[in-house]
Amino acid sequence: MLALLVVSGFVVAQEKTQIIFWHAMGGTRVEHIQRMVDNFNLINPGIEVIVEYKGSYQDTLNAVQAAAIGGTVPHVFHTSQIAMQQLLDMGIIVQAEDLIEKYGIIIPWEDYIEPALSLYRVNGRQVAFPWNSSNSILYYNKTMLDAVGETMPREPTFEDILRIGHKVMDAGLAEAGITWPMHFWFFEETMAELGVDFVNNDNGRSGYATEINLLDPAAIKIMEWWKQLYDEGVWVNPGRENWAQARQNFVTQRCAMMISSTSDVNLTENAAYDGGWEVGTAFMPIPEGYERHGVYVSGGSLWVSADHPDEELKAAAEFVVYMSQVSQDIEWHQCTGYFALRKTSLQALELEGWYELHPNYRTAADQLSETKVSSATQGALIGVFPEIRTLTEDAAEAVYGGKSVVDALTEAKGKIDQALVDYKELMGG
Amino acid sequence: MESKFPNRLFPLLILLPTLLICGMFLYYPVAQSFSWSLLRSAFMGLRTLYVGTQNYVRLFTSSAYLHSLWISIVFAAGIVILGLSSSLAIALVANRKVRGARIYRTALIWPYALSPAVAGTIWLFLFNPTAGVVNFVLERTIGISPDWVTSRSLAILLVVTAAVWKNLGYNIVFFLAGLQNVPGQVIEAARIDGAGAWRCFWRITLPLLSPTAFFLLIMNIIYAFFGVFGLIDVLTKGGPAGATNILIYNLYRDAFMHNKWGMAATQSVILFIMVVGFTLLQFRTTGRKVHYGG
Amino acid sequence: MAGKKKMLDWYFWRPKLFTFSTHLVLLLAALIIASPIIFALIKSTQSTAQISTYPPQFVIGSSAIENYTATWERYNLGRLMANTFGVAITVMVGKTILSLFAALALVYFDFRFKGLIFIFILVTLMMPVPVRIVPLFKFVCSLGWGDTFWALTVPFLASATGTFLFRQHFMSIPTSLVDAARVDGVGPMRFLWRILLPMSMNTIGALAVIEFVYLWNQYLWPLIIISSNDNQMIQMGVKQLTVSGPAGMVHWGISMAGVIITMLPPLIMFILLQEQFMRGFALTEEK
Repeated sequence: MLALLVVSGFVVAQEKTQIIFWHAMGGTRVEHIQRMVDNFNLINPGIEVIVEYKGSYQDTLNAVQAAAIGGTVPHVFHTSQIAMQQLLDMGIIVQAEDLIEKYGIIIPWEDYIEPALSLYRVNGRQVAFPWNSSNSILYYNKTMLDAVGETMPREPTFEDILRIGHKVMDAGLAEAGITWPMHFWFFEETMAELGVDFVNNDNGRSGYATEINLLDPAAIKIMEWWKQLYDEGVWVNPGRENWAQARQNFVTQRCAMMISSTSDVNLTENAAYDGGWEVGTAFMPIPEGYERHGVYVSGGSLWVSADHPDEELKAAAEFVVYMSQVSQDIEWHQCTGYFALRKTSLQALELEGWYELHPNYRTAADQLSETKVSSATQGALIGVFPEIRTLTEDAAEAVYGGKSVVDALTEAKGKIDQALVDYKELMGG
Repeated sequence: MESKFPNRLFPLLILLPTLLICGMFLYYPVAQSFSWSLLRSAFMGLRTLYVGTQNYVRLFTSSAYLHSLWISIVFAAGIVILGLSSSLAIALVANRKVRGARIYRTALIWPYALSPAVAGTIWLFLFNPTAGVVNFVLERTIGISPDWVTSRSLAILLVVTAAVWKNLGYNIVFFLAGLQNVPGQVIEAARIDGAGAWRCFWRITLPLLSPTAFFLLIMNIIYAFFGVFGLIDVLTKGGPAGATNILIYNLYRDAFMHNKWGMAATQSVILFIMVVGFTLLQFRTTGRKVHYGG
Repeated sequence: MAGKKKMLDWYFWRPKLFTFSTHLVLLLAALIIASPIIFALIKSTQSTAQISTYPPQFVIGSSAIENYTATWERYNLGRLMANTFGVAITVMVGKTILSLFAALALVYFDFRFKGLIFIFILVTLMMPVPVRIVPLFKFVCSLGWGDTFWALTVPFLASATGTFLFRQHFMSIPTSLVDAARVDGVGPMRFLWRILLPMSMNTIGALAVIEFVYLWNQYLWPLIIISSNDNQMIQMGVKQLTVSGPAGMVHWGISMAGVIITMLPPLIMFILLQEQFMRGFALTEEK
């Protein structure tokens, strides 16, 4: 009898379905995710999820494509939302709705916050599973601002930033007014705030985009503000897409303000606490006199790949369900600053008084809940997003180097439009 | 020359691994570069479209690519001129017979063992506006604190200097080896005839060094085109605005960031043709050697 | 009287001045060349607080042990170095063997297409990695070798340089040795092992240094072909030093400690094999 039990236990152990999960969340999040996975494996003895951190979003996506060449794509993987069009065109994934239909798993979309859903909604269907969602917000050194007699408005303008920046610099409290990684994402978020589509064809949602709206008056206004900040020494350049140096600049109080992802709330609050100063947050700055439309959700999502046997796909579906559950959602939010995606989570956190204790986490949530639904705030769907980021950031650097805003944007637009048309042609669209 | 082993099959057998690897991992990819250069591609080759010579036309009419070509040449020139002249000067002094010459020699050439990425990391720190030391020194002495990250010309200067520094050791080693081949008697004979130190150098040493110098010219050009990739990736990532975007970096970006394999293959073909041309030139000119008997 | 005259004699001072200036120049040059490393070394012992102070301090800090252990653990340097050693040894040995075989075949045998085969191998000198990297990547991935040890080693086992150098070297060895071997009934393999190998140690040594440094410093290929941190090579660890750090910021003390650790193995190898290296290359000068 005992022998039979042992043998059957052994057999059950052998029959674990193995799922491979690749993600792009580094630093302390690696252990955090490992814990979540271990917990899943514990409560699902028939499944074993093997998790691996693959580096940046781009690294992870490249690894997925390389694996596709070799025929061994991971079951579940994590990419940036800018890869969405590529993944849809690549043909290696199972769309979220299809997975749900096929395996009868339950994902209560109604419980999700609308902006997260609309980002990943294409042709009326959800294609991916939102996981780490963020947007950009303004961080400021409250202590420093108090010292020069300034309070940051909840919804700051370009002019506010310039004024406050100069004030802290003149008072000798900071070397520069503001910093942010030289990353075009912040530009895109500001364009969304101004209600302008980033690319045509409803931001790429009603068909492949063929033109980028870089010469829209809104875009020109934003770039001119960037240029002004640099020329007047108010903005310090930490380096291209250099998040680490930007955080360093802010946290060492070299700058009074920083624009960064909402996922940095935890980090900045800890650093401020250690340093003995107070950090505050506000909405993204926009030019004076313009109406706010809201921001688009960024960050990443989970995708399930198609080329696997049935039981493995079913197990992958279970795993995705687990990751989307409320308890995981709340834990993830509290440890990082990425949004709580589910309304239930938000309610629970409110009841706990979490947002009273941590008002900075609230800013991002508010900025999001006050977003007006439109194609601009839905986020752009572009197949050549990485190339666009390179070309636009080149344009920004050219502007800092002295080129005129219109020239730089025109040159970038020319190349980007070509890239967009090429992609459409390549996809047979 | 006639002493050989008899088998005819055995040599082919032991050559087989080399030939297989050369065939599969060298010739085959190069051939594929040619065929892929005629395609527009996405998703690592999953989706392709035949476009003929469009990629080539686009590259040669693109200011960005032409700039990349130009900047690669500038880099090569800078690294060669600065690198060879400074290492020759140092090698000349290090070649003198003084006590501890061997220790000096080691102390001068050891950076050869550093990797370009390590060199880049150290120089990135040196030039960091807050924690580094260069801006501090400049501020105290000349009163300016340049923005290395944003200025194009400064970025080029920074990369060239770091690259030259890292390769000094390598150059010095070969110059020293070459100098040792300059027979002392020739110099002495010239000196007795009344030639000054400069003339001795110019008319005797330098010509005798020309094979070494030529060899180093080639190696440094290859270094400037390919070897400094790690340095650039750590230090400037091709920026700002493409100021340090040498050909190989542009290729890497197009292939692994923009997912444009067709375009990257085209650039590979162009690089290949450049390397071939270069190698042929090298073989053509090593025919000429300067030799004073022996 | 005569002694005093000697002191004013130019020809007395000249050689002394010469020696002094030589030492001075060499010392200065050595110091300037070493200064970035000295800077890195000093900073690797400082804590974040010390590094953040302005003006920058150049004193040995107090956080040496913390920094070095932190960098070792955080960036997985031990694993990366072990991987790189493994790859380096494999490729060094493999390359040497394959090149010796190829040179043996080309010099001590006669067979059809020998000249063509030699050119076939030599032409690969014009095919550095960057020129074939994208199709090579695809080919290696299609073999299922993406992110594996095989991808890091097999493509590099053949060497035109090695074949060329060994061939040159073998051709300079007196043919009487081969005749003697054949008379004694020694086969080609034993000939290689017993006679050619011991005579080729300088070349092998020089090639070993170059190969080791080349593989230790490999950047582009591991960057694209390896995606798991556990399989990665050491230079990718170096790349991480400036990309990510504790709490999302770069701690320069820890990064500099990482740099120092990373540069030690090739440096030690280089210093130990310095003589072979110089001698091995003096030989190639006689092309």
